[in-house]
Amino acid sequence: MASIDLGAARSGSIAETASVVIIAAAFIPWISQNPAVYSLANQILIGVTAALSVYIMLRMNLMTFAVPTFMAIGGYTAAILGLRHGVTDVLLLGIASFVVPALFALPLGALVLRLTGVYFVLVTFVLTEITQLVLFEMPGWTGGANGLVGMPAVTFFGIELGDNRAVLLVTTGLALAGALITAAVTRRLRQHFAAIEENELLAQSLGLVVWHHKAFGFAIAGGVSGLAGFALVNMLLTAHPTSFSPLSSVNYIAYTIIGGKSTMLGPLVGGALLIWAGEIFALRGEFSQLLFGFLIVVVVLAAREGIVGTVSRFLLFLSSRVLRRSTINPGSGALGAPAATESQP
Amino acid sequence: MEGIVATGLIGISLGAQYALLALGFTLIFGILGVVNFAHGGFYVLGGYLAYSAVTYLGLPYALAVIAAALGTTALGYLFERFVLDHVIDDHLATLMLTLGLYLMMSSGLLVIFGPQSPAFSFPLTGVLRGHGFYVPIENLVVLAVCLVGILSIYALIYYTDFGRALRALADDRSVATAQGLRPKLLFPTAFALATGLAGLTGALVTPILSLAPHVGDPVLATSFLIVILGGLGSIGGATVAAFLVGMVEAFSAVYLGGSKGALALFVLVLIMLVVRPSGLFGHRVRGA
Amino acid sequence: MKITRRDLLLAGAAISASSVVCGPSALAAGPELKLGVVGVLSGPAAQWGLALKGAAEFAAAEANRDGLVKIDGAPCQVSVVAIDSKYTAEGAAAAANTLAGQGVKFIIGPIGSPELTGLKPIAKRNSMLVMGNGYAKDALGPQWPLVFHVGPGPSGWADPIIKIAKQKFGIKSVVLVAPNDQGGTDIASVDADAYKKNGIAATEEYYQRGTTNFAPIVTRIMNAKPEAVDLASSPPGDAGIMVKQLRQAGFEGPIGRLGGPGYGEISRVAGGDPVLKDFYWYEPVLVDEKVQLIADEYKKLFGTERPENNLFFQWVSGTRMVLKAIAKAGTITDTEKVAQALRALPVDDPNVGSGHWIGKEFFGINHELSFPFGVGLVTDGKLQPIVPVEAATGK
Repeated sequence: MASIDLGAARSGSIAETASVVIIAAAFIPWISQNPAVYSLANQILIGVTAALSVYIMLRMNLMTFAVPTFMAIGGYTAAILGLRHGVTDVLLLGIASFVVPALFALPLGALVLRLTGVYFVLVTFVLTEITQLVLFEMPGWTGGANGLVGMPAVTFFGIELGDNRAVLLVTTGLALAGALITAAVTRRLRQHFAAIEENELLAQSLGLVVWHHKAFGFAIAGGVSGLAGFALVNMLLTAHPTSFSPLSSVNYIAYTIIGGKSTMLGPLVGGALLIWAGEIFALRGEFSQLLFGFLIVVVVLAAREGIVGTVSRFLLFLSSRVLRRSTINPGSGALGAPAATESQP
Repeated sequence: MEGIVATGLIGISLGAQYALLALGFTLIFGILGVVNFAHGGFYVLGGYLAYSAVTYLGLPYALAVIAAALGTTALGYLFERFVLDHVIDDHLATLMLTLGLYLMMSSGLLVIFGPQSPAFSFPLTGVLRGHGFYVPIENLVVLAVCLVGILSIYALIYYTDFGRALRALADDRSVATAQGLRPKLLFPTAFALATGLAGLTGALVTPILSLAPHVGDPVLATSFLIVILGGLGSIGGATVAAFLVGMVEAFSAVYLGGSKGALALFVLVLIMLVVRPSGLFGHRVRGA
Repeated sequence: MKITRRDLLLAGAAISASSVVCGPSALAAGPELKLGVVGVLSGPAAQWGLALKGAAEFAAAEANRDGLVKIDGAPCQVSVVAIDSKYTAEGAAAAANTLAGQGVKFIIGPIGSPELTGLKPIAKRNSMLVMGNGYAKDALGPQWPLVFHVGPGPSGWADPIIKIAKQKFGIKSVVLVAPNDQGGTDIASVDADAYKKNGIAATEEYYQRGTTNFAPIVTRIMNAKPEAVDLASSPPGDAGIMVKQLRQAGFEGPIGRLGGPGYGEISRVAGGDPVLKDFYWYEPVLVDEKVQLIADEYKKLFGTERPENNLFFQWVSGTRMVLKAIAKAGTITDTEKVAQALRALPVDDPNVGSGHWIGKEFFGINHELSFPFGVGLVTDGKLQPIVPVEAATGK
């Protein structure tokens, strides 16, 4: 998919820095002691972290539905470590909830990513269904249909993080870790990813082992989802199959697409706005699905770059009018292949 | 032995329903390169259209089924022509559009018709009983329609000019277009054909099973499984895989139990991905 | 389809009604008691939540009208804050947090096991009292001293229903079918134990949630040759298909559904009462003239019909008990004291009847309200009047 590249590297790193700063800002104890505000902030940060893994996959032009799968792996890993092995250190748990899903993702990625993007979409969709079944069929590990309840509160160098405020701190830390990892990986691999996104065959012929990079990206995305899963389990004090339902993957995709998939700010803005709107306007359950569906169609047809892309393009347009700059540098879109290249081999 | 016959019959009737659904799904992918997430939505919509035609317009069931098939055909045509066609070459965009459409369809039906299943039954009841097996007559009707549907699709794709044009477009769009084929007309028609099939299946099958806004979700998941097994875009693959899935589902559910049966299907798919990643008949996969 | 539109209208009416209740209360000088309602208010299960919400609003309006809750002699204004739990653990947890943010100390609801699982830790953290539902095996327990059940789970009512079914149909073996998640397993397995205690051989069979065609499962059941089949907590849509396919497969025995109400939808999907043939189910509330008075009263207070779902009545009696306990404890902040008062209250409702606190044996704590209930019966394809049953005792 040919993204309209407004000097991708530059605007990309601005967006990355901005995202990291915004998420870090959640560490500051804002005005309120209100548990409802904490709860909303928690939900937004978890949703955004999960959406970031969709964002990573979209860097490689791959749509993933498997976010709940890796959230479940991360969340249950943390729950099992806490409950059965007495591990409460938040750093250890955080690392485990990143590494274990990433390790699961590697062989799976190697298996699936040799195929084309569409297979990948279908397989990740099926994977979310398998996840539920596996959770039910392995009660010894996962507590089966009842899930795992009653983990000890997590600790940070021996300090217990149990109250509302501390739970939000943990979520913020995990979201920040997820954002930093996302920024680092997408920045590091930007050239490779851009080449894959633009023209996979060409990239391949230039000697890029494409599925290597894809599998690596998939593992990182899985790990970031795992962090979101740990945050969710820590917030609920419960690892329950309903938290990782197949349909929830659609929400994370909606956050990313509606927010804008070309910069890291997209999932952040999309997630924050949609989750907040869901709380405020009571756009819940099926009505929020109706709204999500409508917004997705509008964004894809009318505002291809989502909220963030459209707003920033508008700002850019204004500033270019003001400054009378000659033209906007088309940036690294130099490979110049139109979208059609991908759907025809 | 009797049990095996009875179970096999169930597998065949499951397979026929799945085949009709998966054919439409794989047609859309094969010809347009679109993964249609709204496929299950058209199935449910077909069910509700037929239900509404029977309940509110008082049409006989057979006419209602035809009306439902026509309605979903029309909607599919319009959606492709006026929405999907703008971004038809961008597989992520088309995927998102069909996903958006599905979300709107299923929640729209929920808002209009409510969450509970209405009273909507097949007009023919009765069961044929043989030695150790039984077949409800309604299943026979559905089976017959499915077989006719599958054969018609084959005839259409392989023995008509229309089908040849579609296959040419699927093979190489630019060459086909250069030779005077018009995707602007053929694409919406192909999409409409597939959604009409889904609507027809919905109108036939929901009165036998149940009609509710969410019954399209499993349809989508099953269609995915079948095309992964059969090879994306392959008509023969989808047909064979549909019956295979029907058989595996029937036998594993009967002999292993419901939950384990579902797991057996997934294991089958995983094995297939390892052994033959492009599916049973997936000789040539679009580089989407 | 009319149901939903009416429900939507009703929800709108209820929202405006509750804002009327809240409006003056903000101005009133007396103490204000906020009841939180956590239930599913959207999506396929919305009618369950609307029944819960309507019941809490009714009990609050009734208490305000009659001045039932007095703190230090001053009448206390009762208002209701309802939040959608979306039928998920996260939704219920978020709802509990929101309520805690508004200083709410008492929660009516939630309805399902996943919701209760998500809500309990948050409620405990904020020392909230919960009068909820949910048939999970770990729904209640000594570690949750502030969590109560508005009605018993299968551990309470399965036994008396099975006794009636046994006497009526003389069954000796049964296969229980339910979905393979918590909503299925935690009920079917308890039902199965109850069958076994009554000398009926029981086996359990679980299917993948989302199954649409039950013909293979039905064949598996037929191979076991049971005298009866119990659909436990299978959703009504699934249960309807299974009844139909069981009958097509030639099953002649009685079919039960010890999992909750839903007879209407099951009958519609199956194709009518003649297909049900012999059918028995758990009806949480027996709606007699006395109970019907609540509905009339509701209409007087709100100007609309009561929410359609019959669990409405159960929630009314549960909310009344909580309000009674608050009045008796004389505090709207100290939930421990209220819980103590609640435990000591006799289980009694002017409309629904009287019963007992149960649950000690099964959950380890006597926190289940047990009121009289009903057993629904279809025999020979004809709907029978609902059989009244005394409040479940024992467990």
